[in-house]
Amino acid sequence: MGNLLEFSHVGHEGSGDRAGTEKPTREVTDIALGTLVRRSEEVLDSWDRQKIVDALVRETFVDQDTAEAISLEVEEMILVSRISMVTAPLIRELVDAKLIERGLEQARRMHTRLGVPLYDVEQMIVQPNKENANVPHGPEATNLTLAESIKKEYGLLNVFSPEVGDAHMRGDIHLHDLGFIDRPYCSGQSLEYLKKFGLNLPNSLAMAKPAKHAEVLLAHMVKFAAALQGNFAGAIGWDAVNLFFAPYLEGLDDRAVEQLAQMMIFEFSQQAVARGGQAIFTDVNLYWEVPKHFEDVPAIGPGGSYTGKTYAEYEKEAQRFVWKLFEVYKKGDGAGRPFFFPKPLVHITEKFFKTPGHQAFLNHICDVASDKGNTYFVFDRGETAKISECCRLSFKLERSDLEDAKQPWKMRYCALQNVTLNLPRLAYRAKGDDTQLFAKIGELIEITIKAHRQKREFITRLVSHKSSGPLSLLNMNLDGSPYLRMHRCTYLIGMVGMNELIQYHTGEEMHGSAEAMKFGLKVIAYMKLLADQCSRKYNMRFVLEQTPAESTAYRFAKLDLKYFPKESSSVVKGDQSAGEIYYTNSTLFNVGASMNPVERVKLEGRFHPLIEAGALTHVWLGESKPPAESLANFVVKTFQRTKNDQIAFSPEFTTCKGCGKISRGLREACPWCGSEDVDGITRITGYFTRVSSWNRGKLGELKDRYRNQGHFTRPLTPERSDGGRVGR
Amino acid sequence: MANDQPPPIKGFIENSLLDWPGQICAVLFLPYCNLRCPYCHNHQLVLRPDTLETLSLEAILDRLHGFKEWVDGICITGGEPTIHRGLPAMLRRVHEAGFKTKLDTNGTQPETLHYLITENLVDCVAMDVKAPLDDSVYARCAGVYVPVSIIKKSIDVLMAGTVPYVLRCTVTPSMLAESDIYCLAEQLRGLSTETPSSLTAAPLLSLQNFNPADPLDPELKNVQPHTDQALARMQEEVNRILS
Repeated sequence: MGNLLEFSHVGHEGSGDRAGTEKPTREVTDIALGTLVRRSEEVLDSWDRQKIVDALVRETFVDQDTAEAISLEVEEMILVSRISMVTAPLIRELVDAKLIERGLEQARRMHTRLGVPLYDVEQMIVQPNKENANVPHGPEATNLTLAESIKKEYGLLNVFSPEVGDAHMRGDIHLHDLGFIDRPYCSGQSLEYLKKFGLNLPNSLAMAKPAKHAEVLLAHMVKFAAALQGNFAGAIGWDAVNLFFAPYLEGLDDRAVEQLAQMMIFEFSQQAVARGGQAIFTDVNLYWEVPKHFEDVPAIGPGGSYTGKTYAEYEKEAQRFVWKLFEVYKKGDGAGRPFFFPKPLVHITEKFFKTPGHQAFLNHICDVASDKGNTYFVFDRGETAKISECCRLSFKLERSDLEDAKQPWKMRYCALQNVTLNLPRLAYRAKGDDTQLFAKIGELIEITIKAHRQKREFITRLVSHKSSGPLSLLNMNLDGSPYLRMHRCTYLIGMVGMNELIQYHTGEEMHGSAEAMKFGLKVIAYMKLLADQCSRKYNMRFVLEQTPAESTAYRFAKLDLKYFPKESSSVVKGDQSAGEIYYTNSTLFNVGASMNPVERVKLEGRFHPLIEAGALTHVWLGESKPPAESLANFVVKTFQRTKNDQIAFSPEFTTCKGCGKISRGLREACPWCGSEDVDGITRITGYFTRVSSWNRGKLGELKDRYRNQGHFTRPLTPERSDGGRVGR
Repeated sequence: MANDQPPPIKGFIENSLLDWPGQICAVLFLPYCNLRCPYCHNHQLVLRPDTLETLSLEAILDRLHGFKEWVDGICITGGEPTIHRGLPAMLRRVHEAGFKTKLDTNGTQPETLHYLITENLVDCVAMDVKAPLDDSVYARCAGVYVPVSIIKKSIDVLMAGTVPYVLRCTVTPSMLAESDIYCLAEQLRGLSTETPSSLTAAPLLSLQNFNPADPLDPELKNVQPHTDQALARMQEEVNRILS
């Protein structure tokens, strides 16, 4: 009771602050009964039964008489209960109970209140957020979590059909970033947009003309990325960054270029002030060669004007910049730690190998890969290049893209939503029957397509309000079409647990035999076939994606242990007694399988031609720090001898909270000062982060990761033990 | 000198990015060693190889056949490979199978080393030099008495040969002072000028860090290895001395 009184006191002050800025929300209340009602806009109100009636009529299809009757019944209940302080949510629940009594289920749905229990809010404010390791803990982070929780409910109730919503809740599928229901998923852009039009954002207080200096272009880039992060749920990617900066670098000495490289990386890595205190999840795509599709494109330079040269003529400047960027990555941050963002994606096309200096550059970026891990190697084989549009999404350039490439500011792409399928559960339901399994895959893809169509419809509604709507930034129209090109959007179909699907269905894990692997390829080929069919049918572009599944792999495993305990307990990975459980990501092999890196890159790469988005093979280095030349050798062979789309080498580090120093490998204590107050750093999925922020599923995975160390000598006993290891 | 029986293989890494700079290689571990370096981290292989399964060379070559496009060569390490009479046969077989060979050795068998190089059985050699070339210090670091004249002879063999090689020294803080390392570097520089037939102007000396995880002498477990930065600084100084 004391608490409630305190609350009501605060409520009065709050209402004073906010009067005039906010309209009272439409909630019900009273005093006629001597009862105070605490409404959601933080004022104490006298009881007014009519407000129940008004809300029912406004929000639902209930007729006036029913509304009157319900309001009278609720009033009676409150009277009889002798509650002295009634809250609006309570009244709403009482009204909802009356709707249920009358069988008015649809009306109850429409009358639902979205909100968060007191206990949960307390937990959120006090406990760290483990959904996404990129979100720190802080008031901004809690704001984000609270807002997300309501938007998530809103999405499930109001954007998606019950069928889709239920499939998500059950864990058949995972609708990513539901808390960001009112934004598209991720975005890829071109610096050319800023170079040509300046920083000219709707609703912004000031407009900046096209940059005349490299540092100003960088400032525009960072600010635009922050603005975009507020309008997209996921990653913000930038295409050919070093090439598009090149016209601004002419005449700058090496020191100035180095300074610019440093500024770019520090600006993006320290922007932990935006959404929820998150750093902006940024990818910068880089090239050593001038990719074919940009060779003959007229270059835009300072002031937004054409320089009279083509990009082919800026090869040297572009190379100077990318070299310096990697020098900065190599040094690491002020404490020598690897930078988490921006992630550098180096594209390697056929032309790379014909471009002078490529071997030295390859050694340079491999040195960074070995030492700090940052480098992503993206392989663009054949004559078509790919654009990594955002979080590990690569798309083959099609004719329309090549047309766009002539005016590169048009090259902005978006994946509207990502929906991931729980593959192992399909196997549990199919009970070992192939026909059943493929039928279930078809059913689940159908639900996924519905989810995508519903999200598209919703976003279309939001952008239809044009510049006065919530997505006005994405309606910004500086070149004859809105920034968000809806017709060019892709819709991602992700997957988790191919390995466990196969393990349950065939009895063997994917690395167990060639047949198991072949079966996996068959499943993915079928999924791709269905996605392609639906693309034609709905005129939407559905593509398969290797979901990063930072929390989904954990969520699915947890739900399956609950709903399919008998089936799932034999295939779920991790430590079940510790709750550190997970499914293997996408189509990857068991992370702990003793497979050499060549085999992993080769075999995982066989899936990549079927998975257009985000395909990546991780090579976990652990403590080891191979010579750059050996990694370069490996990278070249991966390009030439496999179909693998992308690889990354991930070393592990320990950072000390005591002395602030960094050491190699995951350790219990700091080798510098002996402090045990340490944290690990390595890749959680597609990016580096601190291990302390990981969810339990990923912690389980980390313990299992195979690091190509030791294990190869088998002791005579069948069990491998540490005692049997030989190696370094 | 040789017999046809390849030595037993007690360990196999299918591919390593660490053991042969610039190459992707497989690694074979041979048992037994004539030294007892206190910091040895492969001592099970040296002292108790009977607890480890013996792998067949043919099975390994079969397995590696599938990686032929990837694996440039095979690194033979141990233990100490040169104490096995069957080593030349093994190297010959590896060459026949189409892989280059790299030998890791402690340099205590200069004649064998000379034979392997003149017969073109090795394509690269990494030789450990345990300490400055002084009998008493060397004995302390190798765990047994080794006349350093033998070590010098092996270095001469490498310098006189045409095979790329590298000399390596494991730096264990309690056993080697920083000044010992520089003393060794000075001695190596001296050797290179004494050898008229030398094709390489100065030998490379690559410093390696001590690994305290499971050393032969358990007392060393408590020794803190040098930091990466400190080791890098020493390596720079060594390079300066040798250049």
